[in-house]
Amino acid sequence: MRLTIEASLRRIGELLREDIAPDLQTPFLGQSVRMAGGMLNICANWVDDAAAVRADENAAIRAMLGHAAVALDGELAERLRSAAVSSDPGIRISQLDAENHRLRCLLVEAHAAVEDAGLSLLDAAIWKLLEEIELTRAQREQDNPIGK
Amino acid sequence: MSELESRLTAYLAHRMPEAASVAVDELARIYGGSSQETYRFRACWTQGGEAMERRLILRRDAPAGLVVAERDLEYKVYRALAGQGIPAPEAHYLELDPQWLDRPFFIMDLAPGRPGDPFISPDPYDGHDESIARQFWAIMGRLAAIDHRAVGLSGLRNGEAAAGFWRLELDRWEGIIDAGETVVEPIVRAAIRWLRRNPPPEPAKPAIVHGDYRSGNFLFTPDGQISAILDWEMCHIGDPLEDAAWGIDPFWPITRHLPLEAGLAEWEQASGIPADRGALDWWRLFAAVKACAIWTTAEAAVASGESHEMIVALSGIRAGHFHRKVILALMKERGAVP
Repeated sequence: MRLTIEASLRRIGELLREDIAPDLQTPFLGQSVRMAGGMLNICANWVDDAAAVRADENAAIRAMLGHAAVALDGELAERLRSAAVSSDPGIRISQLDAENHRLRCLLVEAHAAVEDAGLSLLDAAIWKLLEEIELTRAQREQDNPIGK
Repeated sequence: MSELESRLTAYLAHRMPEAASVAVDELARIYGGSSQETYRFRACWTQGGEAMERRLILRRDAPAGLVVAERDLEYKVYRALAGQGIPAPEAHYLELDPQWLDRPFFIMDLAPGRPGDPFISPDPYDGHDESIARQFWAIMGRLAAIDHRAVGLSGLRNGEAAAGFWRLELDRWEGIIDAGETVVEPIVRAAIRWLRRNPPPEPAKPAIVHGDYRSGNFLFTPDGQISAILDWEMCHIGDPLEDAAWGIDPFWPITRHLPLEAGLAEWEQASGIPADRGALDWWRLFAAVKACAIWTTAEAAVASGESHEMIVALSGIRAGHFHRKVILALMKERGAVP
């Protein structure tokens, strides 16, 4: 069995929360270390599928930008068309995040234009995508409430 | 004696030339002061041959926190609200010169009581839930009734404005999001567009808005009395319903302890202002956007290394999801999601 990044983060988090925090002298430090342990657990939840989540999200946004490009016109539609056929510049998280930001900015522009044009079906589709993105990302942080 | 205790001792001796044998001990940092560093300590001295002792609080600017606090704002608000029917500790000294404790700070009394923890405890107020919630709304109403100019607070943000508070605040928080966001959040941007397209009516009167009026930011005593409203660093002038909406936000809802209409009735009685439910609804969505801005600031502060606070880190990465889901729910409630 390999000691993965994910497992390492979990074990360090447990060490902080369960072994070190109770023995610290001040409540402030104890709480800080417990939270640091929780933070490491969240990081562990992020690690394994971090690239997949971002690549999938970027692909889904590109598809949506393609739909919006058909419904809209002018210079914005041209930029959306171009983004819809683009691809991720690499598989590092930093590269995927930068591309994700670029695509999200275009999605914000497209969404505003769709609202202005009263394209309710496309508007609804964008909201559905945004909800799916949020749920996918949020799932990774559910097991450590703030303060624990 | 710790280094900070020594430096505090020197400062107090400087500020109290009439005192002799000044000593500071029992200094302990208080967990949860995520916008400023908060410490409790005991100061002892002799004066006129009499031994004196006082429990005090030090509020020092953090290197970075959840909000961008104006340095002397909180101190000025505490001083201005003394005697105005708002429970708050007495503030004593404000110091902006970094020679004393590296960063600006102020010193105030340690108020009696303890905070309830809205995030963990199912019974944060030791069985006094309804009474505490009624006081929560009544104090908020009394705050709304105060003439900010009469108490010398026209220097607060928006203090000279007569109208357009919703736009001033929305512009401010959108600007904070713009400055801190590295990956844009389309849900938040959609909410901002909706807020701009559907502005609320102007408030009945400009009021002092606490800016972070919520469960967790006040102290209560064992007999169920709210003894101090704390954390005024986001105080400004605006629509008093902004505080009402913040207080019922689902992250820390006072409505867990008292239904909204009962709370609003307390607020209306104390403020003398009818609560416009439609306007409150606008401010509820605004509150979720403002919360996202605060979490964005927190995330950026940790990412840049300005903050090492774990509560700031966790707030930055977890609470943003929470409030984007709140925005989704509120947008659906408004029929803004087809």
